[in-house]
Amino acid sequence: MQLSRYLLLRLGKTTVAAWAIISCIFLLSRLTSGDALIRSVLDEAFTQPTITATERAQTEALLRHRFGLDMPLFYVSFSTPAGATSPTWMWHGTTNQYHRWLNSLLHGNLGHSYREDTAVTELLRRAMQYTLPLTMLAALLGVALTFELCIWLEYHPAWRSAMLSILYAVQAMPLFVIALVLLLLLANPDVLAWFPAYGLGSLGAMSPWEGGLGQYLYHMVLPLISLILVSVPGLVIQLSASMQLELHAGYVATARAKGATPRAVVRHHIFRNALLPVLPLLAELLPNLVAGSVVVEMIFALPGMGRLLAEAASTQDYPVLLGAVLLVSLARLFSQLLADVLYQWVDPRIRLSA
Amino acid sequence: MKRILVGLFLLLWSGLVGCSTTVSSVPNTVHVRWARDPENLDPLIAKTSGALEVLNLLHCSLLQASEAKGDFIPWLAQEFPQVTLISDSLMKVTYQLRPEATWDNGKPILASDVAFTLKVMHCAGLPTELAQARFGFVRDIEPDPHDPRRFSLLCRGQSIDFVRSSGDFSILPEYALDPNATLRAIPVADMGKPLPQVQAFARRYLAGEFSRHPERVPGSGPYQLENWQPGRQLTLTRKTAWWGDQVPSAPPQLWAYPRQINYQIIPEAATAVLALRRGDIDLYPLIPANEFARLQQSPSDREQLQFLTADSYECLTANFNMRSSLLKDRLTRQALTYLFNVPALIKASQLGHAYPSVGLISPSVKQYYNDSLPLPAYSPDRAIALLQQAGWKQQPDRSWTRTAATGRPEQLRLSISYRAGEPSFETTALQFQAAAATIGIPIELRPTEASLLSRQVQQGNMQILLRNMSGQPFAYDFTPILHSQSTGIYNASGFGSPSSDRLIEAIAQEDSPAKKARLLRKFQQLIYEERPLTVLYFLQYRIAAARRLGKVPVSGLMPGYVVTSIRPDSAAN
Repeated sequence: MQLSRYLLLRLGKTTVAAWAIISCIFLLSRLTSGDALIRSVLDEAFTQPTITATERAQTEALLRHRFGLDMPLFYVSFSTPAGATSPTWMWHGTTNQYHRWLNSLLHGNLGHSYREDTAVTELLRRAMQYTLPLTMLAALLGVALTFELCIWLEYHPAWRSAMLSILYAVQAMPLFVIALVLLLLLANPDVLAWFPAYGLGSLGAMSPWEGGLGQYLYHMVLPLISLILVSVPGLVIQLSASMQLELHAGYVATARAKGATPRAVVRHHIFRNALLPVLPLLAELLPNLVAGSVVVEMIFALPGMGRLLAEAASTQDYPVLLGAVLLVSLARLFSQLLADVLYQWVDPRIRLSA
Repeated sequence: MKRILVGLFLLLWSGLVGCSTTVSSVPNTVHVRWARDPENLDPLIAKTSGALEVLNLLHCSLLQASEAKGDFIPWLAQEFPQVTLISDSLMKVTYQLRPEATWDNGKPILASDVAFTLKVMHCAGLPTELAQARFGFVRDIEPDPHDPRRFSLLCRGQSIDFVRSSGDFSILPEYALDPNATLRAIPVADMGKPLPQVQAFARRYLAGEFSRHPERVPGSGPYQLENWQPGRQLTLTRKTAWWGDQVPSAPPQLWAYPRQINYQIIPEAATAVLALRRGDIDLYPLIPANEFARLQQSPSDREQLQFLTADSYECLTANFNMRSSLLKDRLTRQALTYLFNVPALIKASQLGHAYPSVGLISPSVKQYYNDSLPLPAYSPDRAIALLQQAGWKQQPDRSWTRTAATGRPEQLRLSISYRAGEPSFETTALQFQAAAATIGIPIELRPTEASLLSRQVQQGNMQILLRNMSGQPFAYDFTPILHSQSTGIYNASGFGSPSSDRLIEAIAQEDSPAKKARLLRKFQQLIYEERPLTVLYFLQYRIAAARRLGKVPVSGLMPGYVVTSIRPDSAAN
């Protein structure tokens, strides 16, 4: 199959998968929690002595209307109509929450945050400007470190066992432990206060792109090391094992027989072939780092996607939650697509079939 | 590998060389830790405690809550308003604005600004539904024709709570938001109608995006917004010429000493403690009990920090659902309260920073607290005796049974619900479960997600509920939590009888402190006997602050401190 046709088909499938994921989350979140946020706001307001029960009911109706919760959830429902005794199937047409939400989504409108009265797209854009530089830098440095470490281990087999033991130990540690240990070791006045404990300092600009790069990097050191430490061990263990397998392949002996230096054999022959089983891990690295940034952004007080997602979940801000989940799902689906393309790039013998 | 290491080294080096400070070093600045962003700073929409804290620095209301006075005190108003009762359900609340009160451009703050604020609140097309509900009792405003600073609010209701609430909203500047005074001719009652001027104003107001840009609404408060980086920090700067400075011998509500107030948003408690110890922040309000105790034990931290507590009006309560057949009789409910070991709970979950109470009135409000009632005690023996009085019989297998009103036998087997993820609730539930097990009552723990729990409470689908309740030292209206009309809304126990409802209404209506004290003592006695809920303890707000701030005034009202009264410069001198 041609690559372009394959890509088109995969893109179509990816879009359908993204739609299915996000629709499930929309319907499940509305079904299980419904208008929990409105009720919690009203509970709080009702403790005010000046609000009567009638005013509460009126306010509830107004809020439901503003948030679009005063219409049926889906095209059909199985409920008991007013005056009836038993539940029946009811058709609501296009006047339903799901249709309205999907229609907005197709027009690029993810809705407004319940909490901030700001467009979800704006909140996502604002969060991404902090998360993208962090996670991309972590992914790039992580991949570079993985490659160099694996090649170095091939040149220095004596270190292999010790290094792998260390990597296994680091891999066993959860991210929040790694981040907290780094914080308590390197930003603690009782130990070493080399790095800032949180945030981006007094950077006046709204984004790292506009402010001082030095200060930004200084504040990013600990979050970056945390993300790198959590991603590199798994990659090195897999890639190193793969390289060990390739070491005994026939083409390695041929290359050596032709007089290639050990460095050239590792870099130009073994490495490329050993990459194949590790490609899905590499492609998943960025989405995984975005997921990992939830912990890092909470601990280091960075206002990125992870924190936005965590706070939206804890406060039941469903429009933001859905927008963030859509973005993460798309990133994950596209990473799988990227893995497929990279497979063919690394080994053209692989046949693509959608 | 070498290249990577060299690259990493250069990155670290450039960072270390390029940066020397992490927070701004403007003198006389107070750096405060916040766990969350204030989210929305529109004065008529804001909901979070952080947003309300900032808005009270940017804007003034007519009245301000004062814990010291136990009442609302004049802020923009010159004195507490005069009240004239009209018929049996209305009243006229007359205010006089301070003669010194001006906007930033020097124009006086007038009755027309108050009228404008009420109109914005009720403007059709604006997302101000909650403000409309809260201040809907203000029917109209009547400016004094002879004095532009004097006006009367025509209000529904005649209780003191309505008088206090009538002055509890930020006053907005008409000159800045409606320079052509397009709303002046429209009565407050017509603002909900789709009139062309109203719609045009709503469009202009929404286009201003005041929720994200509060600097576009010049306020009458002592501070203005310097910088707001959502999710990171928010900085307020003291106005060089603020009207409050002109007031001779200004009262505490008009003090505003810090030149700059900087709020740093740090979600994680461990990071915030580190920031406090490093000097990146000066004030950590509502610090967790364990961190507070840990800092207090460290000699180096004791040198740098001061540790303060304030008796709050927030309490942990156990609510018994009286609609459940097992909890219908008061003897059973009384018996169960003897299974909460309050002193042990205070020690375990709050590390001693809480205090027990006989009821919903804080012991710190001595005027109204019924000190003739005994404090909650832990006594499984007393619980057994009360259960036996209630008709329960212990079986050989140690379980408790009795014959229900329907004639069927029922077993005393209960569940305790609480919001999941809250350590103090978990500790309390576990202690209760263990104590109940010693006398043979099986207790099922139900940690529940907040929205699901809220729904269960509304549906009465729980037996014992742990939850926090907040109060104030000056509002004693128990309608939302214990009136029969509130059952299915916020009254989790389903408590309420015609006589208790009358008592709750009488307390809310009563203005005389002596009569109110008598009614409140009677109310506490009633709740103690009926036990629809039991107060386990009142919380203390814990605050850790840098010693460089000098004296930090604390408060039992949120946020727990009075930032405007902090004088860092005086501490340095």
